[in-house]
Amino acid sequence: MQQEQHENMPDGTCSGFEERWTLFTAGELDASEVAEMKSHLVECERCNETLAQENALVALLSSNRVEPDAALLAGCRASLEDALDRAEEHGWLRRAVGALLPVGWISPAPAWSAAVLLLVGFSVGVLGPRFLWHSAATENRQVAGQLAGRAGGTTSEGLVANNPGGGLSTIDLYSAKMAGINVFPSDDNKPPQVELRLNAQQPFTLQGTVNNDDVKSVLMWVLRNSQRFDADTRMNAVELLRARNNDADVRSELCHTVHTDHNAAVRLKALEALDGAEPQDIIQRTLLDALVDDQNPGVRVEAINALRAMAAKGQVESDAHLLAVLRERMHKDPSTYIRLQSAAAIQDLGPRQKF
Amino acid sequence: MGMSVAFEGDARAAAAVKHAEEQALVRKAQAGDRLAFEELVGRFDREVLRLALNLVHRPEDARDIYQESFLRVYRNLHRFRFECSFYTWLYRIVTNVALDHLRRRTSRREDQAPVPEEAEGGTRDFFDRQPELRPGANPERHLLGQELGAHIATALDKLSPRERMVFEMKHYQGLKLRAIGEMLGTSEETVKNSLFRATRKLRASLDGMR
Repeated sequence: MQQEQHENMPDGTCSGFEERWTLFTAGELDASEVAEMKSHLVECERCNETLAQENALVALLSSNRVEPDAALLAGCRASLEDALDRAEEHGWLRRAVGALLPVGWISPAPAWSAAVLLLVGFSVGVLGPRFLWHSAATENRQVAGQLAGRAGGTTSEGLVANNPGGGLSTIDLYSAKMAGINVFPSDDNKPPQVELRLNAQQPFTLQGTVNNDDVKSVLMWVLRNSQRFDADTRMNAVELLRARNNDADVRSELCHTVHTDHNAAVRLKALEALDGAEPQDIIQRTLLDALVDDQNPGVRVEAINALRAMAAKGQVESDAHLLAVLRERMHKDPSTYIRLQSAAAIQDLGPRQKF
Repeated sequence: MGMSVAFEGDARAAAAVKHAEEQALVRKAQAGDRLAFEELVGRFDREVLRLALNLVHRPEDARDIYQESFLRVYRNLHRFRFECSFYTWLYRIVTNVALDHLRRRTSRREDQAPVPEEAEGGTRDFFDRQPELRPGANPERHLLGQELGAHIATALDKLSPRERMVFEMKHYQGLKLRAIGEMLGTSEETVKNSLFRATRKLRASLDGMR
């Protein structure tokens, strides 16, 4: 019977056996089928050949297989850990929503789910803007209140400062717009004099150096409210604050600008302004964040340059996160320069290894 | 005979303990225990990375598949309802991510012919051009290996992503066709046909190399 099938096939294999040898090699036949195939093998030379070819194919492909080495696995684990950290940072809202509206509750009751979602949406729509307005107003009143307190102001709601007429006026920072920043360079190494002109209900001018806490607060306020001021104003604010980059508030604001400003030139300027600031671990973290997250290659170049400059001065603390970021950039950054600099930084900072 | 039964009994008991431990870990991870999740990752990640690496053959792509897979697992863990083993559920995600990756790669023109570019020697990435420094490296053998590797890569490129996945999971991950079907969300018969097609194509492409 099998011999007949054998002779009927043009390529000399037994009819229907070719696929069965594939399953035989794959260990997918049950015991009785295996016994049947083995007994067939005894009397069929060509099926012996077919089976040998099947095994040879799997063996040939095995020769080209690769095993993940320890360094790759370690790199993957480190990258995953970072990604999980980031996911946890951004995941609180999802978890909160998940706890309130579990999938198992929504699926069987779509009408109720829709009604609740509508109610939630309506409430957020009505109450959200009020809440946001209140928060923003409170924050600005706090800044204004601090300034008013130092300037001997008269109300808790406004900023008291010199107006062009020489008297005192009250402004609401929430509604104020920056009319201009004038910078007057000083002759010696002292910080430049700054004149901040703001338009509110009454024009408002503040003068002094960045060492003046009022000037500092307004400049920081400009950066914090980046959407309300043009890029040139923010660049000037960053440049002026650079002289006080070791002040904790200023440093924090500059780091915030590196992370959030929508203009790449401002982010770049803020990165430059952090040069020499301390403590180094915060600066290092900000540089790494910029290296990983910033979409602008210029900012990433500045970040890797600054990191290497810090490394050259022995100011970089090498740890698993740092090396994981550098390895990731070394492999994935679209910029050749950044890939090369990341590789060089690993050689400077990491254990010597093949990469 | 008696010893064999006892041995099988021990193995079954050990598997049950391992399964219970795994379920406990999954429950802890579902409750937000990051360490439990990392332990789960540690149990399976080498296999996941091996699968990815042998499917895409580029460490950086394998790393992407690894990371995306485990991030999806992390984000969707609350949806796992113990209706199948965690391993099967995990591999469903991994195979989906890897298949997406393979499909994207197939559709990208620059990825379709990496081999001739390497043979001409000019345009590979800087890091790929670094010399092999292992002391035992033999240039002639290395060259032959490269040639064989190129032939095999060409043969594998002729498979569809699904055929490639089935062949890999069957022969090198040692999974049963039924389990592969569960992971790929298809029937055992479909998986079997994919395996037949993959084998036929590979046999035709590599005829003469064996």
